[in-house]
Amino acid sequence: MSTWLSRQTLARKQAVWAWIFLAVPIVYFTAVRFWPAVDAFSLSLSRWNLVGPRHFVGLENYRHLAADPVFWQVLGNTFEYLALGLPISLFLAFVIAYQLDRVRTGQGVLRALYFLPHLTTATAMAWVWRWFYQPAPVGLFNGWLSLFGIAQQPFLRSTAQALPAVLVPAIWAALGFQVVIFLAGLKAIPRSYYEAAEIDGAGSWQILREITLPLLLPSFVFLFITTSIGLLRIFDLVYNITAGGEGGPLNATKPLVLSIYQSAFARMDMGTASAQTVILFVILLAISLLQMRLLRQR
Amino acid sequence: MASVTLRGIRKAFDRTEIIKGIDLDIADKEFVVFVGPSGCGKSTLLRLIAGLEDVSAGEILIDGRVVNNTAPKDRNIAMVFQSYALYPHMTVARNMGFGLRAAKTPTSEIDRRVGEAAAMLGLESLLQRRPGELSGGQRQRVAMGRAIVRDPEVFLFDEPLSNLDAQLRNQVRTDIKKLHQQVRTTSIYVTHDQVEAMTLADRIVLLRDGRIEQVGTPIELFTCPANRFVARFIGSPSMNIIPAQIDDNEIVLPWMRLPTPPLATRPTDGRIELGIRPDDLLTGAACHSVPEAYRFTAEVRVVEPMGAESQLIVSVGGQDLQLRLMGRLFPKPGERIACALDPAELHVFDATTGVAIGQRHISLQ
Repeated sequence: MSTWLSRQTLARKQAVWAWIFLAVPIVYFTAVRFWPAVDAFSLSLSRWNLVGPRHFVGLENYRHLAADPVFWQVLGNTFEYLALGLPISLFLAFVIAYQLDRVRTGQGVLRALYFLPHLTTATAMAWVWRWFYQPAPVGLFNGWLSLFGIAQQPFLRSTAQALPAVLVPAIWAALGFQVVIFLAGLKAIPRSYYEAAEIDGAGSWQILREITLPLLLPSFVFLFITTSIGLLRIFDLVYNITAGGEGGPLNATKPLVLSIYQSAFARMDMGTASAQTVILFVILLAISLLQMRLLRQR
Repeated sequence: MASVTLRGIRKAFDRTEIIKGIDLDIADKEFVVFVGPSGCGKSTLLRLIAGLEDVSAGEILIDGRVVNNTAPKDRNIAMVFQSYALYPHMTVARNMGFGLRAAKTPTSEIDRRVGEAAAMLGLESLLQRRPGELSGGQRQRVAMGRAIVRDPEVFLFDEPLSNLDAQLRNQVRTDIKKLHQQVRTTSIYVTHDQVEAMTLADRIVLLRDGRIEQVGTPIELFTCPANRFVARFIGSPSMNIIPAQIDDNEIVLPWMRLPTPPLATRPTDGRIELGIRPDDLLTGAACHSVPEAYRFTAEVRVVEPMGAESQLIVSVGGQDLQLRLMGRLFPKPGERIACALDPAELHVFDATTGVAIGQRHISLQ
């Protein structure tokens, strides 16, 4: 091998070495990630309980899902997480980053504080927030409400309030990463742009609209995609914050990934679980393609 | 159009003082260049005039009005940045009209003024392009266009040519001079390049370490530098500085003695420095035009042919001297050539303080 290698051009040699190093992750990803992912497509057309033989059933699993009102509720929940969480979290993150960028003193400390939740495990966070939402005198929020004589709120026990209540810690956890990305985007805008605008007499609104926001577009698109994917895949927070990990009350907070988990590992119905996985895959793919097209238009 | 006056300007960042007391009057329609080595405070001074930084002490007047607490937009100035500061997501036309849009100028008026400025700078065909699609020189012109469109009372230029290659720099320099002759707007121009300063300025302000070393026309600074620093900074190649001693009526150089020229003062220790520009070091037949006492022979060390002329480094008495030889013929290294100091062009500096004490300063005083 060494004689064969020594006869190759420099670029060829570098390529050979690169492939040697890449071989290990390629084998790993093929065996552990890509193959099961591809297999999920065929599994979604089968009936299988993890131990017995697989039976091909055609589109039976999909038909079954389409007829299931709980599945439609779960799909609705999933999009509700997205539709509420995406605009709120991006807006908050931008406002925080924009203000943080103007602060000179203590910027590092504040940035670290905002980033901290990003480092915390979702499970620990979910249990802390679960405690926050308890009735008084245990729960923090209801404790405050009673302090001001405001009526107690059911939060996680109400079908109307539960989903937003789950979303709040999700947004809070995502904020740190988003703020850091926005801050990096803001810092990449040359100071001279703002100085030139200042001399030209532009007001802060014109500067924001005509300079800051357009130049921050790449950061926005990046966070749009990553946050969308994160919200569509929400699972561990819901699993840990709702009673028994059921996504309740009455499936009010259950997202698609939790439903997949329950199909697969509570009901041992691998076919339905895979069918839902394929649906989630199609949704994620569609959203990513749409956003990439939006980006390319600019 | 307006005059600009600086009175006792000081500027400190944290505890470091960058500008250490500047007084200056800039007349209406004048083109003034701030020049100096990096870190001399020239850009800071420009930013103080623009209002991008607050002064720590002193007053800035534009058109006789104190503007210390006036926002940049209300100072009626326009600035061309070193980086041009063109917005990458806007077309050339939108970039140039940005300030007018900020001032809520009617669209038809914006179009007219952008069109006029574009015509003046030859940018008509580029108005719908984005800055990323332009060459460096074109971007530079758009930056100037954005300043012109606003029809300000004062133009501020912050090293506008430093991002251009040498050839383009000469061309744009000429364009800026033409432009000023056309619009006659008071202009303040910052550069570290003494050639730019010499060619563009009505008056040069030479700064060092936050203070003014000398103010004057380019020719004044070239012919009557107030001190050794100005003498070395202005002119290329730099002036030769020769350590010397005044002994009764003679100046003692390492290799010869000269009659002492009239001096404004005499340093008490007699230590002086003699300055002579490379162009005023005569060689060959030209030596016969000066008295015998100023002639000597020197050994050629380095020859740098430039085409129409050559730059020589010659050595005499352990001292290297730079001189310029016109014409296409030049000696070889190691040859000995006849040289002479032009007595009318000698500069004398106090060796301790560096202040000029030679004959020109007597006539000026």
